[in-house]
Amino acid sequence: MVTNWRIRYSRKGPAVWLAHLDQMRTFERSIRRAGIPVAYSGGFNPRPQLAFALPIGVGIATEDDYVDVKIDDQQNYEPDVNELWCRELNRSLPEGLEVQASRLVTDDKKNSLMSRVTAARYRLSSLELAKKVDRFQTRFNEDTWMVEKQTREKRSLQDIKPLILDIQTEGKHLVELLVCAGSQKNLRPELFLQLLKMHQFLSEEDMLETSITRTELLFAPQHMKVADTNIRDWVSGLDV
Amino acid sequence: MKTEPVNLTDGLLRSVTKPARYVGGEWNSVTKPLSSDLVRFAFCFPDVYEIGMSNSALQILYYLLNQRPDTWCERSFAPWTDMEQLMREKNIPLYSLESRTPLSQFDWVGFTLQYELSFTNVLNMLDLAGIPQLTSERSAEDPLVVAGGPVAFNLEPMADFFDLAVIGEAEETIEELIDLYHQHCPNGRTSTWDRSAFLRQAAAIPGVYVPSLYAVVYKADQTVEAIRPLDGTVPPIIQKRIVKNLNTMKRPDQLIVPNTEIVHDRMSLELFRGCPRGCRFCQAGMIYRPVRETGVDTLSKQAAALEQSTGYDECGLLSLSTSDYSQLGSLTDRLLEQFSGHHTSLSLPSLRLDSFTLELMQKGSSTRKSGLTFAPEAGTQRLRDVINKNITEQDLLEAMTLAFKGGWNGAKLYFMLGLPTETDMDAQAIADLTDSIETLYRGLPRSDRPRRLELTVSTAVFIPKPHTPFQWAPQELPEVVNKRQQFLKERFRNRPVKYHYHDWHSSLIEALLARGDRRLGAVIRDVWAKGQTFDAWDDHFKLDNWLDSLEKFGLDVSFYAHRERAEAEIMPWDHIDCGVTSAFLYREYQKALKAKTTPQCRIACSQCGATTFEGGICFGD
Repeated sequence: MVTNWRIRYSRKGPAVWLAHLDQMRTFERSIRRAGIPVAYSGGFNPRPQLAFALPIGVGIATEDDYVDVKIDDQQNYEPDVNELWCRELNRSLPEGLEVQASRLVTDDKKNSLMSRVTAARYRLSSLELAKKVDRFQTRFNEDTWMVEKQTREKRSLQDIKPLILDIQTEGKHLVELLVCAGSQKNLRPELFLQLLKMHQFLSEEDMLETSITRTELLFAPQHMKVADTNIRDWVSGLDV
Repeated sequence: MKTEPVNLTDGLLRSVTKPARYVGGEWNSVTKPLSSDLVRFAFCFPDVYEIGMSNSALQILYYLLNQRPDTWCERSFAPWTDMEQLMREKNIPLYSLESRTPLSQFDWVGFTLQYELSFTNVLNMLDLAGIPQLTSERSAEDPLVVAGGPVAFNLEPMADFFDLAVIGEAEETIEELIDLYHQHCPNGRTSTWDRSAFLRQAAAIPGVYVPSLYAVVYKADQTVEAIRPLDGTVPPIIQKRIVKNLNTMKRPDQLIVPNTEIVHDRMSLELFRGCPRGCRFCQAGMIYRPVRETGVDTLSKQAAALEQSTGYDECGLLSLSTSDYSQLGSLTDRLLEQFSGHHTSLSLPSLRLDSFTLELMQKGSSTRKSGLTFAPEAGTQRLRDVINKNITEQDLLEAMTLAFKGGWNGAKLYFMLGLPTETDMDAQAIADLTDSIETLYRGLPRSDRPRRLELTVSTAVFIPKPHTPFQWAPQELPEVVNKRQQFLKERFRNRPVKYHYHDWHSSLIEALLARGDRRLGAVIRDVWAKGQTFDAWDDHFKLDNWLDSLEKFGLDVSFYAHRERAEAEIMPWDHIDCGVTSAFLYREYQKALKAKTTPQCRIACSQCGATTFEGGICFGD
């Protein structure tokens, strides 16, 4: 039996600018400083075994992200160690990263966090963004929302409409986006802003200045196959 | 003092590469509550974050200064060109990472000068900060701009831009300077404080150099006639400072742990300062004498503290020649024992080639395998004798035999081209040496060697440095170096050797600046004004900008780089005393020309002059 220590964490402030690999290294070192008995991989270059539910892009804050820390069961630790570890890790994380909640779970490869991520909620905010999105939704009646996607190797066009599950506007400035997330279908929220910019609903400067916060990660229930048709049915109130 | 932090918007940070470099917030970085009597020191590294954060002087001084309740040391690095452009567009001044305070608001702005090709970056950072570049243009409202690091041993090309410099090891000097500053400005800088009185008093502190208090006179042939203090109160000679006892000095028990990957992303232990070897091309080997070691207990304790406070899983050993550490065996045994079970690995750089050190490499790489690096520096024994690099071909081949048996399939070999007295033959011998390694490899039974041989040969261009026996020597002409590089390139074709060589263009300018005088200040500023920065980055370096600016001011690169200097010539840095005497250096130069070697310090004392510091191995420590 292998134990995982499951952490729900947030990031803001300077930590928002870490790339995924930076953040992984930062968690590794923080966990070492906190003295948590993390398990290491084998091989020539053993690494602490951490599994993040979903990588997060540079410049995006989060209020609800998860990482599983594999615990070395060979080492002695008390069964009720969760609170202590949580306290110690929070004392060891750099500015902007914070553990919100944690618990010990049994590792089950078939139900890894990564494989169960299905959707993510983002809060986007910039000057009058809500008004601009409202205008976009009333005026832009296309069946496909094609956006130019730039990967390291090439540019390609992608229809992002099917990946957006819900758009809510709030007041003048706030927009909430519910999108597909995970290894099978994933939408980076920047692409939605890119679409607005392409069709002149948003200036380049406002696009760059829009702050993006991941507010919720949504997971498929255990032992359930992730299928996009029924995502809307279960996206609320799940226990991870 | 009123301080408005700069505002870095999301849009700005989203528009630049690696924004984590510009926001601070790293583990063990220090913030302090502001008060009027707090001395604020900005430690600046004139290159990008990833390089600057790997510098151990930064980590040591940051720690020391922040231990003082009356001082807050923060950091600043050269922004990459994309960030610089946006900062200029949006009128964002250069700021400190910790509090995002514009550098112009600091009491002190300190630059560590690690290589000459960072000079244009210093000027660019001052300009971005809105601090007048010229000492003569600064007023009481401006920070004091101070230099340190090895390049400060010949600060002359940058003399116009620094109010003062700390010569040698800065740990003690910098504290004395802050104490003096406190006397002058007990409640922070005012617009009426007497800056020039402060500088005069600072010049009386041993190891402090205030360039503006010295006048340089030139002869008709352009060489220096004299370097004169302005009056009798200014010391004519500035002797460097050292920390006499490394065991009793305050050493960091914590390091800033970067959030984004840097060049040397590990904790490191300083085994000793100075080097006993006396390689004649090596400036560090001369200016950091005498050798002073740190004890095993001190290092082991520091390692434990650093491992705990940083979370690093790799520990490096820092020195100019690790295998010359007298207790290397017991240190590595101790460290490996205390790291065991923590998945912390030990990496061993700059080792000499013998069975003992290879055994250590294997121990060190018990959790992680690192590459082998050897630096024979020259291809023939004659030329290695010229530079006093006491490695034989036999040493190299024995080490490679052990390495192949130990599972390594090759090594990186470092050489220099253009060394004094070098001929085409010497350059060819570099290739012959790799042939011998190849023959050795093929001669081993298959069971005793790894499957594919892979050698890497790198050649740098030799640059004569001040305070070394070769300070009188000319740099080899570009066309000669180029010919030898091209020869080697051809020679390594279809061999299991990867050949890297450094272009001579920037080496020429490095040679110019390394032994330059004060007249180069105008040239450096002119080059900067053309928009040139990051000269140490090959794709940013433009030779023509330098040559044009030299011409504009009536100066000739060959005068500085390609001229053999006379024994009696006054060097632009002759008022800076590193302990090692000119007489010793010249003796060494003459021996070099006759290919005669000099024994290392532990075997025999060669009367270099470093005993004047009354410490270290000169006195059997």
